[in-house]
Amino acid sequence: MREHKLKVGVSGVRGVVGEFLTPLLAADFAQAFGAYVGRGRVVLGRDTRFTGPMIEHAVACGLMAAGCEVVRVGVQTTPTMQIYISETGAVGGIGITASHNPAEYNALKLFNGEGLFFNHYERTELLDLFHQGDFAEVTNEEMLGFTVDEATPWKRHVNRIVKHVDVERIRARRFRVALDGVNGAGSEMSVWFLKDVLGCELHAIHVDPTKTFPREPEPKPESLGELMALVKLHGCDIGFGQDPDGDRLAVCDEHGAMVDNDDLLALAIEAALARAPGDVAVNLTTSNVVDEVAAKFGRRVYRTAVGEANVVDRMKAVKALIGGEGSSGGVIFSGTHLCRDSYTAMALLLDRLAAEATSVSKIAGALPRFYRRAGKVQFAHGKLGGLMLAMEKNHPTAQLERTDGLKLNLEEGWIHLRASNTEPILRVAVESRNEARADQLFAESMDLLRA
Amino acid sequence: MASSLRISTVGVRGIVGPGLKAHHALEFAAAFSVLLDRSGPVLIARDPRASSVMLREGIVSSLLASGRDVIDLGLASTPVLQHAIQRMNAAGGISIGASHNNAEWNALKFLGPNGTYLSSGEASELLDIYHLRKFDFKDWTQVGRLHFDDASIEAYINDLERVFEVRDLVGLKIVADCSSGLSSLILKRLKDRHPLDITMINATLEAKAFAHTPNTNARTVGLQLAPVVQAIGGDLGVLFDMDSDRIAVCCGDGEVVSEEMILPILAEYQLKRQPGRMIITNLSTTSLVEDVAARYNASVLRVPVGRQHAMDALAMYPAEKIAIAGEGTGAVMLPEFRFVYDGIASLLALASHLKREKTSLKRLIAGMPRYDMRKVEVKLGAKRIPEMMTHLEDHWSGCRMNTQDGLRVDIEDGWFHVRVSNTEPVVRVIAEMRRGSVEDLMAKLMDTVRSYA
Repeated sequence: MREHKLKVGVSGVRGVVGEFLTPLLAADFAQAFGAYVGRGRVVLGRDTRFTGPMIEHAVACGLMAAGCEVVRVGVQTTPTMQIYISETGAVGGIGITASHNPAEYNALKLFNGEGLFFNHYERTELLDLFHQGDFAEVTNEEMLGFTVDEATPWKRHVNRIVKHVDVERIRARRFRVALDGVNGAGSEMSVWFLKDVLGCELHAIHVDPTKTFPREPEPKPESLGELMALVKLHGCDIGFGQDPDGDRLAVCDEHGAMVDNDDLLALAIEAALARAPGDVAVNLTTSNVVDEVAAKFGRRVYRTAVGEANVVDRMKAVKALIGGEGSSGGVIFSGTHLCRDSYTAMALLLDRLAAEATSVSKIAGALPRFYRRAGKVQFAHGKLGGLMLAMEKNHPTAQLERTDGLKLNLEEGWIHLRASNTEPILRVAVESRNEARADQLFAESMDLLRA
Repeated sequence: MASSLRISTVGVRGIVGPGLKAHHALEFAAAFSVLLDRSGPVLIARDPRASSVMLREGIVSSLLASGRDVIDLGLASTPVLQHAIQRMNAAGGISIGASHNNAEWNALKFLGPNGTYLSSGEASELLDIYHLRKFDFKDWTQVGRLHFDDASIEAYINDLERVFEVRDLVGLKIVADCSSGLSSLILKRLKDRHPLDITMINATLEAKAFAHTPNTNARTVGLQLAPVVQAIGGDLGVLFDMDSDRIAVCCGDGEVVSEEMILPILAEYQLKRQPGRMIITNLSTTSLVEDVAARYNASVLRVPVGRQHAMDALAMYPAEKIAIAGEGTGAVMLPEFRFVYDGIASLLALASHLKREKTSLKRLIAGMPRYDMRKVEVKLGAKRIPEMMTHLEDHWSGCRMNTQDGLRVDIEDGWFHVRVSNTEPVVRVIAEMRRGSVEDLMAKLMDTVRSYA
């Protein structure tokens, strides 16, 4: 298989630093970005990757050459940056983070003046401008400088969150909490937030932002063994695992077992809807457990194509209260900001545990039970249509949805097929209420697609 | 406008925006790291131009990506940077600033180990690496780190005090025009340490609105500094360029001293103590240099115009054989102070000279012969330049000629030099007569030159 060590595309620039992602490319892209958003303030932050400062200087160079004023916020989580952008009248922002990708990668995350990810149209326009290459070059007279604000972004972020939970009630419980910060951008903020703001007894590991990632950065059961052990060791009420830029969250219950990401989203939705009315938006691959939870409160669930920007676009359009993407552990709560935010997710969960005097395993166990299977199949270019057609034929009674790939809604569950944006890979997700049926649907599909 | 960019062995220079762009900073820094074939940090310093911050960001990024640790001295002049490179045993340095040019310009100067300017060979290798884009970006485990150092000016002054008698400045009433540039940072500290009577004007660092063109020539001195000196009175007026690597002066009564006089005056100061040593200067500099040399049994080596030619010549002789190297622009290098152009060192040497001679600048100048010198610039298309040079050579074929850099001709009681600028698309005509007016000679030359314009 081709290795994708550099990707310049609609989601920005991402690549292995050095041979592939160079300072030249980062500066050029930033200059195109600056030309696109115009001559205003652009917020620039990064996660804790060793290559972050190097890329940051290149980006600052490109932005200044395009006539932007650069506001450097240093090491910040992605949601913190997004909120800061939206509150400070900036024309946009660039976050230097490859999110859950390994340490050798880095990338530019691009935000508009509302602190939201560029939507599809903005991304396409920017990319055209980048390829065209003749972006603005300002003179010494027109050049703006940069300012530094590393201290207030966290505060602004947390100020937004605490409006939506009962902080005193959480503090009163004095939760015993375990945390694996992956030495990421949120390391120091997480310790402060959980310990000082929410009054938890904190047992934290990997919260040193000067060190590299101690584990695979994507927060999932396979990478969070230490967190699970930590919960058991200290008898914690809950364990939190973050990714390097603090947008995703994984949760471990009081027995040291990971909560499934779709269930985590459902729990957050339940917590939010219990406090305030509102609709829900999730992507097509998210579990139906979300629909059942929303139905309990009589709220509607909107389904969107996969991708945070797609969910956010829909949430904005329908003024949804909460949303997210099940499989990736991202909770988007509009009360804080239209972005995936591990801190809001933590606060909503702790608030609910405090309100109901219950435990994680109990509320997770009370959710309707669905069985999910996921896999991927490599396909040859040009064969994708045939594969989709074969699946349709195999399920003649299915109700079809084509917003993003092909989703086959069956009576006893669903199958979602989606080609990756970056690789010739077809992602297959299957869900059913019945475990045997889920296994069967998944095996059947994989056999058919591989044949 | 694109022709404002000049990439040459001198470095990179241009008007920021239309000429000099962000990618030049990134690509040249990456090429420079490859050129430096030794490990160690790279030092950087900048002048106060707004665009210097932008260029610094690009340079820092490329150096870090190339696996270099970077030490940023912040706002500091090229001589201070050169001093720090030597003191910290760094691999090299990049100075960001356009020295005597107006605010819209900027430039990168590359400095090798020991803080020396690149030789012609090194500079042309740098261009090759740049053009071939043979960069060496490292993986994530090897990226460099950025450090800051704000003690470099103090360390530089400590060193100055070891070489010069700073106390020789005491008692001199000096007006210093800092041209909104970096010399003010050094003069302020010198004043903190010694009871100096220095009145500083245009001493605020400016990013965009310079007090005046930061050029060290008699014209700028006459327009900007001399009236102030005349008004407040004193012994000496001194004007620094933005980078403080050279000076121009006027007398206490406001009489402007030609920038051509700096080298002969300081050559005398050096040769008096060290007779017989050599003076290195370029083909365009006043023949007062030869007069001084003759008095102290010294020789003059004339090289093509441009810093790198002086450096190449310096490299060929042991330091103890050389009295001074410099140009008619007021830029001089003293062997005691590391062979770098340094305006502060020039000022200290001048003060010491006046003290030792128990004289004033006014009297010193009055005692020197007045030669009539003119400099004219003509915009000329590159295509017809060889034809013009041939024409001139044919016309003056009976005289002593030097064709290392355009054409220099020595005639009875005078000389002239016609050459193409290294930094701008112009032809420069310089002529000097030791007796009488240079006007007739100049008119004759200009007739020929203009006929090719």
